[in-house]
Amino acid sequence: MSAVQYDKQLRSYLFLALCCSAILINIFGDYFTQFLLAEIIILSLFAMSLDFLAGRGGMISLGHAMFLGIGAYTTTILYIYLSIDPFLCSLITIIIGLILGYLIALIITKTHGIFFIMITLALGEMFHSWAFTNDSLGGSDGISGIARPDLLFMGLDLNEPLLFTYYLIVWLILSYLFLSAITDSPLGRNLDAIRQNSNRVLSLGGSVKFYKSASFGISSAIACLAGSLYAQLNGFVSPELSHWTVSGEGLIMIIVGGIGSLSGAILGAAVVHVLQHELSKLVDWWMLLMGGGFILIVLFMKDGLWGIILKFKNYIMEKIC
Amino acid sequence: MLMKLKNISKSFGANSVLNKININISKKQCYGIIGPNGAGKSTLFKIITGNLLQDEGNIYFKNNNIDKLSIEKRARLGISQSFQNNSLFNEMTVKENLMIACSQSLNIGWHFFKALDKRKNILDKTYKICEQIGLSQYYNHKSESLSYGLQRQLEVGLAIALHPKLLLLDEPTAGMSHLETKQIVSMIKKLSSSYTIIIVEHDMNVIYSVAKEIYVLDRGDLIFNGTPNQVKKSVLVNDRYTGIKK
Repeated sequence: MSAVQYDKQLRSYLFLALCCSAILINIFGDYFTQFLLAEIIILSLFAMSLDFLAGRGGMISLGHAMFLGIGAYTTTILYIYLSIDPFLCSLITIIIGLILGYLIALIITKTHGIFFIMITLALGEMFHSWAFTNDSLGGSDGISGIARPDLLFMGLDLNEPLLFTYYLIVWLILSYLFLSAITDSPLGRNLDAIRQNSNRVLSLGGSVKFYKSASFGISSAIACLAGSLYAQLNGFVSPELSHWTVSGEGLIMIIVGGIGSLSGAILGAAVVHVLQHELSKLVDWWMLLMGGGFILIVLFMKDGLWGIILKFKNYIMEKIC
Repeated sequence: MLMKLKNISKSFGANSVLNKININISKKQCYGIIGPNGAGKSTLFKIITGNLLQDEGNIYFKNNNIDKLSIEKRARLGISQSFQNNSLFNEMTVKENLMIACSQSLNIGWHFFKALDKRKNILDKTYKICEQIGLSQYYNHKSESLSYGLQRQLEVGLAIALHPKLLLLDEPTAGMSHLETKQIVSMIKKLSSSYTIIIVEHDMNVIYSVAKEIYVLDRGDLIFNGTPNQVKKSVLVNDRYTGIKK
């Protein structure tokens, strides 16, 4: 599996541009725009976690939405049954995601390619079925009543859409900095090497299984965080969040953004979600348009939107030099 | 004694590929393994590195039995190899390829903070190896953009970046031009003063110029071993392999 060209500088600049855009949209947008932005940020976290997994370790997961569900339901259970503050709930879900993801990966990273995809799909569907039929979690109707973190002692009411979106932007920045640090670290570069030639890493003495499991755990932790924040945004969680089609949408986002670009995944999440939102208002057959657009991107833009930005950057550099 | 292969046998179904092979490897020597196609040379390499498991026999490395050790554990013990077909990280530059190997030799491959290319010890080591294999001018070139011969040099570079105690070179000059072969032979000669090397090669001139001791395999049997001069004079070897009639 190939990923986009490794370019730390472009990755940082694109993230900075996207962050500034998010802050400006949050300041000048109305209530609905702020809510849409909040959804995009949560989807961006999920897309980044998938991008890290696919773009670094070469692992395509069709069951990653399971971790969204685990994050959301864990936050719900901890808040409703144990009255733990939602902010602490998010921290706990990150740790649970890390450990659970690592343990699952120890078993499933023995497989590659289509077998890995199918195992993740099966795991995701098992979780979805369990949540769907579990009455204590609200079954197919889901469960509501999850509050947002209480930061009133700092004079911040996160029930205000503007402030809650800022809260989400802080999480996005922290997650991006964390994932980009790992991407550039020896672990991240070795994961890149594993994606390209895992046998060679083995023959160099690299513990491929540990590297892949660690990256799966890290990716799961970020997906769980996204799930936790989703529950806080909507005050509600249902089994639909962990359906395999959500993982599929996440994969579409990273392909549109450019696999392995990290900040491209945020751009991909924004473009796909806004298009879904706007096209569905215009025509009933909006999915046909989305599907057609996706096919064109796969056929003619292997590196997605990242590829276009990279070409533009190279053009500018040529002009300057 | 660095390594001892004792009664190594391997079969694929009814096809016996190696029959009770015994080889002793001493430190800081260069050994050659020769034989016609299908002699079992590459299978023997794969068994030493752990890519294949022998059916019978034992492998001792520094007097320890390593039969059950995985590929990566053998590599960490100091058994390093260059592959017959180039096995590089094609999307990476020469520098990045070597940095990956160096991160393994310094056991920091699992570190998840501080960028790999910001670590001075890694950068110094990477550049040193790049000079050693004669690829300094291609330092920032993508490995897939290099010529076949240069890729072979990088292939050896990845293997020596581990500072191996035993370096296995599988047909390092295969598919190379005369000039490229000369370059790689000179590189192997330089390396042989610092490393224990086992080289599998079809080009007899290469083997004669670098190996101090040669093992000759034929259809899975070890039919002869001796110095290059003894191999040249051996009627059995000439009859079975080189085809030179006295």
